[in-house]
Amino acid sequence: MADSDISDNEPTTRTLLRRVLDTEAPRTPRRRQSTRAGVQRTPLGTPFSMRLRSQTKTTAGRQPHRARSIGRLAHIQTRGQLKEQTPRTLLENILLTAPESSMVMPESVVKPVPAPQVVQFSRRESSPGSLELQLPELNASTTLAPGRLTSGRRKKRLRLSEFQQGVDQGLPLSQGPVTEPPGNTGASSLSSSLNLTFATPLLPQSVQRPGLARRPPTRRAVDVGIFLQDLQDTSVATALPGDRTPVATLPTDTVLEDTQPFSQPLIGRSPSVHHSLPYPSLSAERTVSRRTRSSGPGLQNNSPGKPAQFLAGKAEEVDALAMGFPNTSSSTSGEDGLEPLLGGVGEEVEERMEESMSLSEVKEAAGAQASARAEEPEAHTEVAEAEGSWGAIEEKEPEGSSGDKDTEARPELASSTPEFPRARQLEFLEPAPPTSTAVLSSEPLEPLSARLPTRVQTAGPRRRQDPYKMGLSHYAKLFSFYAKMPMEKKALEMVEKCLDKYFQRLCDDLDVFAAHAGRKTVRLEDLELLMRRQGLVTDRVSLHVLVEQHLPLEYRQLLIPCAFSGNTVFPAQ
Amino acid sequence: MAVAATISQRKRIKRKAPRGFLRRVFKRRKPHLRLEASCDLLVHLNCLLFIRRLAEEARTDACKNKCGIIKDQHVLAAAKVMLKKSRG
Repeated sequence: MADSDISDNEPTTRTLLRRVLDTEAPRTPRRRQSTRAGVQRTPLGTPFSMRLRSQTKTTAGRQPHRARSIGRLAHIQTRGQLKEQTPRTLLENILLTAPESSMVMPESVVKPVPAPQVVQFSRRESSPGSLELQLPELNASTTLAPGRLTSGRRKKRLRLSEFQQGVDQGLPLSQGPVTEPPGNTGASSLSSSLNLTFATPLLPQSVQRPGLARRPPTRRAVDVGIFLQDLQDTSVATALPGDRTPVATLPTDTVLEDTQPFSQPLIGRSPSVHHSLPYPSLSAERTVSRRTRSSGPGLQNNSPGKPAQFLAGKAEEVDALAMGFPNTSSSTSGEDGLEPLLGGVGEEVEERMEESMSLSEVKEAAGAQASARAEEPEAHTEVAEAEGSWGAIEEKEPEGSSGDKDTEARPELASSTPEFPRARQLEFLEPAPPTSTAVLSSEPLEPLSARLPTRVQTAGPRRRQDPYKMGLSHYAKLFSFYAKMPMEKKALEMVEKCLDKYFQRLCDDLDVFAAHAGRKTVRLEDLELLMRRQGLVTDRVSLHVLVEQHLPLEYRQLLIPCAFSGNTVFPAQ
Repeated sequence: MAVAATISQRKRIKRKAPRGFLRRVFKRRKPHLRLEASCDLLVHLNCLLFIRRLAEEARTDACKNKCGIIKDQHVLAAAKVMLKKSRG
């Protein structure tokens, strides 16, 4: 179909598409006849109106709708008047909806009508006629009569105008762009309004129906400068130390001491963490101290192991950058060291650490890390290391300005800590630096588990308190439910503190009870004894009664032995 | 078994116990100890009862002071009493 005389000077996409459509060989003869018949047939009005409806519903470009309508119409009219959804039709729709370069180009405009049948038609008749004739066939033609004025044939126009009128009457929805041309045609009847372009200009459409107009996607160019700045800020704030990025020197150097030179970066991170988030650092330290306490002087090994576990188990998603991966890898290595370290550590060390921890917590929170360090170098170093290593695990970025202070602390710690942790730390740190570089490089790009690359860094320290705080807040919500009275936020925080103390007491009591029974495992009878001593379980109220009253069914089934079929009891006693 | 059958019917438990949280807390504090299988459920029960009593106490305190809102001093006073009671 060389009729595609799209005599456009510049080879635009539209013209190319047209040419493609034109050159393709559609089912010509059938279509031709059918189109003619369709034009004359009244029932066309209905499908046409349906088409219009579909058109109006779908702006140019909603091909599925058109396809559906096309399909419907195809059902109605067996003849191939309507195009089934083919790539051709899609392209035609595209052409329709895309704005023409010039509105007043009768010949060339007429040509482009995407319908292949139309093209065929146009071959038969001059181009404008094809346009007109195409109207009935075009399923998704955006408008009936939009278009350019074509000089063109009266007879075709007549038919079209009839058609248009029929369409106008039949068309229930008269939506702006679509109805206007028909309206115009109706008014002008035989005027050239019918020969308006099928592809209405985008502007009127957008004016009348802004939602349907195709808007170019608004993409803001990424401001690299701002992005880097944000990176830096977040890195400074979250101790995402920037050896990579030129981060401002961290004002506060945490007490993290590290015997290993490698751990400098780790420690460098923690200072920023502490500095930027004093409160979270407090709770984080608390948790860290707990961890360290529990793990004993496992220090770095334990802390990386524990925080790594913590993090890995907790929120891989929150894990900044690729922390998760190195974390898990390091955690596995750290955990190995945990066991032997745990065995090696004596209880007295734990106690000492506890005291120092509590002290160190306060001090570190206050920022008097240096003083704290002086007073309890070991404890601090442990804590700091724990934190630092924790921070390292998270960020994996070697340090920053706090490196020098860390070196001071490190020798102190080095003296106190055994060599084992040092080896562990080395081992742990080794993967850290290489991974950190990789991580950093991928930091800006890689979503990994982080939801937002830049924001992940801030989530680092938050992660420390989150799991514990979340658990506590879960119970605090229950408190507000049981109280049945409005509460202040401070009261809720107070409740959380009380819960914390309660958990401590609970664990201690269970420990004592189990030790009293010569066991190392806390059993149900220990729990029952505890509740009895608390006055919850009495001679009148048994534990089973309480379980039934307060726990959901699933837990009750797990706790209260019940006989089942087959002479079995679950849970087994 | 019957247990499994009944559990599968209702997969969503209301008022779930944060078992992982409880186990982790216990492990952190007492790493040398072990928790038995369903002990954390009883711990959760204990917490529920503790919180319930604490809330009752706090509500009583607030009502005593003719406050419509529970404030942290009410909670603090109530906690003192409750922690003393739950000494075990």
